[in-house]
Amino acid sequence: MKAAFASLLAGLALLTPAAALAHHSFAAEYDTKKPVTLKGTVTNVEWTNPHARFYLDVKDESGAVTHWNLELASPNVLVRQGWSRHTLKAGDQVTVEGAQAKDGSQMANARTVTLADGKKVFAFSPSDAPAQ
Amino acid sequence: MKSKLTVPQLLAMALVFTVEAAAQAPSTAPAKSSGLRSDELTAPAGGSANPDTKKVRPRDSTPHGPTPRLADGHPDLSGVWNGGGPVGDLAQGLAPGETIPLLPAAKALMDKRQAKDDPEANCLPTGIPRISPYPWRIVEDPTHIFFLFEGNIHSYRQIFMDGRKHPDDPDPSWYGHSIGTWDGDTLVVDTIGFNDKFWFDFRGHPHTEQLHTIERYTRKDLGTLENKVTIIDPGDYSKPFTLTFTARLRPHEELMEYICQENQQDAQHMQGTSGPPQNP
Repeated sequence: MKAAFASLLAGLALLTPAAALAHHSFAAEYDTKKPVTLKGTVTNVEWTNPHARFYLDVKDESGAVTHWNLELASPNVLVRQGWSRHTLKAGDQVTVEGAQAKDGSQMANARTVTLADGKKVFAFSPSDAPAQ
Repeated sequence: MKSKLTVPQLLAMALVFTVEAAAQAPSTAPAKSSGLRSDELTAPAGGSANPDTKKVRPRDSTPHGPTPRLADGHPDLSGVWNGGGPVGDLAQGLAPGETIPLLPAAKALMDKRQAKDDPEANCLPTGIPRISPYPWRIVEDPTHIFFLFEGNIHSYRQIFMDGRKHPDDPDPSWYGHSIGTWDGDTLVVDTIGFNDKFWFDFRGHPHTEQLHTIERYTRKDLGTLENKVTIIDPGDYSKPFTLTFTARLRPHEELMEYICQENQQDAQHMQGTSGPPQNP
């Protein structure tokens, strides 16, 4: 029961609008019609404003590696949700679901990040906030 | 348990709960004003969204109670607040049925503005009445009221409460020159002397240096601060208009450092106008 409740809360964290905030227009930068799922190795984490970022090396079937720049919410938003600068580190194997930049660059807004053991970290990323 | 919950139920619950970090500094919310300790607003922990999290508090954590007052009888506005101004679209503060009286040239300017050029996206100040989606704090002393902004940028407004008048010819600035007076229980902040650089919202609603704002702040109760702001700018709008926004007290929060210029990589990837606010 306790585990079920924890799972429920993890799900709620994905839905909470608290992190759905940014200092810029989400719609102008990312295309929700271009969802991406990326599986790779974290090469670096930048715990900086206005957005925390991490970088991912993604290897395709031929062995070619592409390097992705992934945007999270601000560190302040993430810390207020209980995450920390230690949550994700270089060398972690992760699967990322997000929306790619409209300009086609290998940059995306990371909506969810799942570690190799299945644990979801961070959750949801910034978007336009409602007025008020 | 989980399997019995429907998506609408989950969404409803998502609005009710949020997660509080165990590592978060203990609240120093205006205890004198609110009479509440942070743990009084904290629900028993039943689980967590991540291993570091120990506490869960109601998502709608806005405290309720009477409006706190200062020794002189005026409402005490101090505390950490969220909201209270436009973020995505100025029009969201309009009363039903009203429209923003944009002059044709101002509308043409707004329509051609590109999201990448939004000063706020480039880590410049919001101006007034725009607000960032980050907490801000009101600090009062006998002669000034300060609004301290976490983001964006890490800046402040100062409102003179000592009875002075506006200067005759203020240098144009991002936050203008603000003087405050009390109208009963409402703080009235009159501001002139703006530059024309900031945008009112993601949409790019413009203004000119003729802008004059009158904000009326009323702490309706312990957790609710209403801002009724009148925009007067004959350069871009055919008549004055009034918007209403509501800030909510965040008794658990402290302001955190937010240096937007440190790693801004967004503006250069933005395309087109921002359009209406949108969530992913």
